[in-house]
Amino acid sequence: MTDPAAVENAVYNFVLDQIETVPHLEALLLLWNSRPQPWTVENLAKRLYVSTNIVNSLLEDLKRRGLIVYVPGSPDGFRYEPTSIGQDQLLSALDLTYRRETVRISTMIHSKPSSSVRDFARAFRFKKERE
Amino acid sequence: MVEGFLLGVIGTASLAAALFFLKFWKQTHDRLFLAFATFFAIEAINRVVLLRVEHSNEGSPWIYLFRLLGLLVLLAAILEKNYKRSA
Amino acid sequence: MFGAIVYIIGALTSAACAVLLMRGYVRGRKRLLFWSGLCFTILSLSNMLIFVDLVLFPDIDLYRYRLGSASVAMLLLLYGLIWESE
Repeated sequence: MTDPAAVENAVYNFVLDQIETVPHLEALLLLWNSRPQPWTVENLAKRLYVSTNIVNSLLEDLKRRGLIVYVPGSPDGFRYEPTSIGQDQLLSALDLTYRRETVRISTMIHSKPSSSVRDFARAFRFKKERE
Repeated sequence: MVEGFLLGVIGTASLAAALFFLKFWKQTHDRLFLAFATFFAIEAINRVVLLRVEHSNEGSPWIYLFRLLGLLVLLAAILEKNYKRSA
Repeated sequence: MFGAIVYIIGALTSAACAVLLMRGYVRGRKRLLFWSGLCFTILSLSNMLIFVDLVLFPDIDLYRYRLGSASVAMLLLLYGLIWESE
């Protein structure tokens, strides 16, 4: 997938489909950039300037989407775990794009209707989605 | 008396639900929400009409037809979401 | 007879919505789906209650209970829409 327009589209589609909030994105990119090092919930909360409750909930969401895995230990943490090479490339492109177009990506995320509403609509699709 | 009250509750709640779904439709442009809004709006209207009927087991077939319309709109929207080329 | 068919279609449609929404809730844990799924479950039962009313208990009028259950269903849906749709 070397065509830059296609890559850009893939990044935008990923953001629209899989990223619920900006902290979600920043957490994912933090984990991706420090892979395979795990992060603890506390450190993520400090780094992202959000509460640990929010971090817990967004990590659960990312885990459910198969983007990160839970790493038990003392203390427990989470780290990025790719499911495919394509996903690695996508994350790399996402990282670059977010650095270049932070405002645009954030606006894209903020103008999505609430994820509850989107989930409601998605629930009525019979076939398994590509998530 | 109680039946009238309950019909009012259901009617008002259905109307409110319809408004929420209308809002979701405006936000997402997903016709499914328009279908839900239509369904609940029809339910609301039906309940109001039923207020004038002595007992729900009676009542003109138009009430049933109208209700069926709402159900079919909803079913059609769900099917369209799944089987249209580009939903 | 025609009315009976409409009630059956109503029960089936509500049941289908309930199943899809509950399945969606299990997947994504969005509480809006839980409350709407619960609403449609009760609406489905409320639709089926007419048959219980006419066939199983012909001497008792269950109209009030049909209305009552539908009211509960709609209030639960409203609760979910107000508090959980962000």
